[in-house]
Amino acid sequence: MSDITLVLQAVGRGEQRASENLLPLVYDELRRLAAARMSSETPGQTLQPTALVHEAWLQLVGDDHRKWENQAHFFGAAADAMRRILIDNARRKSAVKRGGGRVRLDIDNLDLSAASPDEDVLLIDEALEQLEQQDPEKARVVVLKFFGGLTNQEAAETLGIGERTVERQWAAAKVRLFQWIESQK
Amino acid sequence: MNDPMSHQTTKSAREVEEAVFLVALDLTDPARRQFLDKACANDDSLRAAVEGMLEVHARADEFFAKSRSKIRLTNAGDEVSLPSGEQRAERQTVDGQLGKFINQYKLLQRIGEGGCGVVYMAEQEQPIRRRVALKVIKQGMDTKAVIARFDAERQALALMDHPNIARVLDAGTTEAGRPYFVMELVRGVRITEYCDQNQLDTPRRLALFIQICQAIQHAHQKGVIHRDIKPSNILVTLHDGVPVPKVIDFGIAKAIEGKLTDRTLFTAYEQIVGTPAYMSPEQAEMSGLDVDTRSDIYSLGVLLYELLTGRTPFDGQELVKSGIDEMRRTLREKEPQRPSNILTTLHGTELKVTADCRHEQAPKLISLMKGDLDWIVMKTLEKDRKRRYDTANGLMMDIQRYLHNEPVVARPPSRWYRLQKLIRRNKVVFGAGAAVTMALVAGFSTSTWLFFKAREAEQRQAQLRQTAEEARANEALLRRQTEAREQINLAAIYVSQEKFEAANKLLNSINTPPPKPSYDGVSAYRLVGDWLGTQERWGEAAQRYAALMEIDKIDKWSAVTLDYQACGAVLVESSQFGQYAAFCQFTIDTYAGTTNGDAAGRILKTCLLLPADPELLGRVRALGEAAENFIQPQNPKLFSGWAAIPVAVWQYRRGNYDQAAVLCNRWMDSGATNSALTATLGVVLAMSDCRNGQRTEAIFKLAPAEAVIEKQFAAGLEHGDGSLGYWYDWVFARILLREANQIMANNGGIPSNSDR
Repeated sequence: MSDITLVLQAVGRGEQRASENLLPLVYDELRRLAAARMSSETPGQTLQPTALVHEAWLQLVGDDHRKWENQAHFFGAAADAMRRILIDNARRKSAVKRGGGRVRLDIDNLDLSAASPDEDVLLIDEALEQLEQQDPEKARVVVLKFFGGLTNQEAAETLGIGERTVERQWAAAKVRLFQWIESQK
Repeated sequence: MNDPMSHQTTKSAREVEEAVFLVALDLTDPARRQFLDKACANDDSLRAAVEGMLEVHARADEFFAKSRSKIRLTNAGDEVSLPSGEQRAERQTVDGQLGKFINQYKLLQRIGEGGCGVVYMAEQEQPIRRRVALKVIKQGMDTKAVIARFDAERQALALMDHPNIARVLDAGTTEAGRPYFVMELVRGVRITEYCDQNQLDTPRRLALFIQICQAIQHAHQKGVIHRDIKPSNILVTLHDGVPVPKVIDFGIAKAIEGKLTDRTLFTAYEQIVGTPAYMSPEQAEMSGLDVDTRSDIYSLGVLLYELLTGRTPFDGQELVKSGIDEMRRTLREKEPQRPSNILTTLHGTELKVTADCRHEQAPKLISLMKGDLDWIVMKTLEKDRKRRYDTANGLMMDIQRYLHNEPVVARPPSRWYRLQKLIRRNKVVFGAGAAVTMALVAGFSTSTWLFFKAREAEQRQAQLRQTAEEARANEALLRRQTEAREQINLAAIYVSQEKFEAANKLLNSINTPPPKPSYDGVSAYRLVGDWLGTQERWGEAAQRYAALMEIDKIDKWSAVTLDYQACGAVLVESSQFGQYAAFCQFTIDTYAGTTNGDAAGRILKTCLLLPADPELLGRVRALGEAAENFIQPQNPKLFSGWAAIPVAVWQYRRGNYDQAAVLCNRWMDSGATNSALTATLGVVLAMSDCRNGQRTEAIFKLAPAEAVIEKQFAAGLEHGDGSLGYWYDWVFARILLREANQIMANNGGIPSNSDR
């Protein structure tokens, strides 16, 4: 059994420290999976983070519905981890500002978002930090939906709120974040 | 506007704003405005805030959808195999080999890993110095068998020489005993990725796809089946800025496939999870024996599907998740959704992103898929390979036909199929839908196949001429035509929603219809003209039909000749005698040589609506004879008296009143007493009797016919059907009735009609 499943079970039992341990584990797992996937096949290939999150879960515990509670924890942590991976990536890339060469053969330097609009992702992250101050619940929805790529249903179950609420929060959050981003330009 | 997340805005104020915003979002004007008036009464700042939110909402949605779509680039359905622990360990040992040699190949860089192996960029020194791609197959293969199978196909592979095929150069065994393949090095991105990144529109995607079909056709002609066509095996490179797709990995699937049969099912399953989304049903069966070129056609279909819609017919991940048996069952039994259907099931932003990648508006993308493209794709995806295209060439030609607005092979045989569906959707307008459908089908079955073929060839020629002419025409004209085409397509959409008035208005605004509109566009003209006819708006109907005659070079005679009947009737009914005469000339010229009696009859009837001069009679002589021949009792295709009307009218116009009367008497009872058929023959009979000096008798015979016709018009026209008569059959009957009454009034003399 993997470390993550053990930690997930501990989280399920309500052990406080366990949830702190969860994020780095999920982070590593996702990076590892992504690295394996990125090195495969054609250069220039990119990945779908959502697929990765689901894949990581399936690989860890399979498709067992009884473990749903754990999946909620996992999805939460995975969305955070994915946010971090994407942001790190975007930061690195906008710092380096590489030009044109779209086809990359370098497999050691994992690049999750070869063609992502890095500035946009960074801006969204920055706006999200503001939102976290004011309206943590709504910000959480954004993390799950945007970075974790969860469906409304998955986000609703992860947060223990209704699907319709997720939908409304997401709609309002998008407008708020967008207005903030526009005001920064 | 204030910083939306500033601390000056209090939490509760934000909550109120958002609550109002969310309600307003679900409303449209004027309800939205009314709601805002109420909700924001006396609170201008609230109103301003909410309106600000509403204003940016769409852009915000798009911004997030775009940003998200760009951090998920490849289709997840493609490669879904997960590396096992063993594979991970293996990678490390293999990676230690960079810089080393595998036989004469120096490994330079690892460039990829697929379901079955790792790919390196390598350098070859002998016999020439060049860079190649070297694919080392994973452990667990029977190397000898793989190499033997490859050797068996090596000759065929060597025969392949095509600009869109990356050549397989060599195969061998590593020191560790694993098979490897050496291929031409292609530096490119997957075709799906290339298309999305460059936002290629559908025609440009199809143009790339056609090249792939040519490559596959070439391989098939050399006896090589690919067996693993998928986006990651089709890379696009730029040659002088021109995208060139290259198919890689030819022959490799065949060489390594044999193992599927001699290992356990589970291992086999792990092996195939690479690309279940692209696998044909017969491949999924994994018998390993029963795969031929048509399996590649299926995979090409999946690729086409993905290029058009951004999705594979079945989701790759779901197929894998469902397990091997369920996966086989799905591929074997489940009908995939049509491309246009799957697009309509997408959520707003998802659809928008898909459309954006194709440089198209979402509704237009959907209507673009409907019909021909749907059919082409679905034909490639047939479960039964006998029903797919036989060759990649056939598939390619059909796509080219689509691009040239020619009828496609994949289209169901009956042209009426679609008209029927339109009619079904428009029952209210068309009256008894079922009866119409039956009549249409019956009408169609009278066609003769040979005539069809000849007509098709003529149409092809006509189209080629037209294309050439069009190319010479100036740019402004082309642009106007494009705009007109778009309007026609929009009209077609209105028609499908029964918004005939709106469709009519649009079509009316087009001064010069473009020469080659879509099928739906042609139908729009026909259906709007038809609707106007039932509204007795003759002048407008005549305009629609005139345009239809002009543009409809693609329909079969059975549709066209019915259009002619309607057109002739409305021209006369709207007193446009000059145009009617010109129309008759044109029609006769078009159909002068036809030997199809049914078609000839329809044309004949259309041209003899008014008294004819000797010149016209001379010109329709051949048509008359063909139509007369058609109504011989021994003709098996003759199933109603409708075909007798043209002949009776013809004889009457030629002055052969006795023969006309005989025909009328013989066929009058073949129709219902309240049909346009009986009424029309009744009128012709009365006129013939009158000409023969039997005026009193004629008056008696005319009365019931006149009653039926008057009653029909008093009740209002409907589209009608093939047994009681379409609306233009009634118009035709009334035109003759007027003539008959004139003759009666003149006591059998020649009617005076100076206009004609």
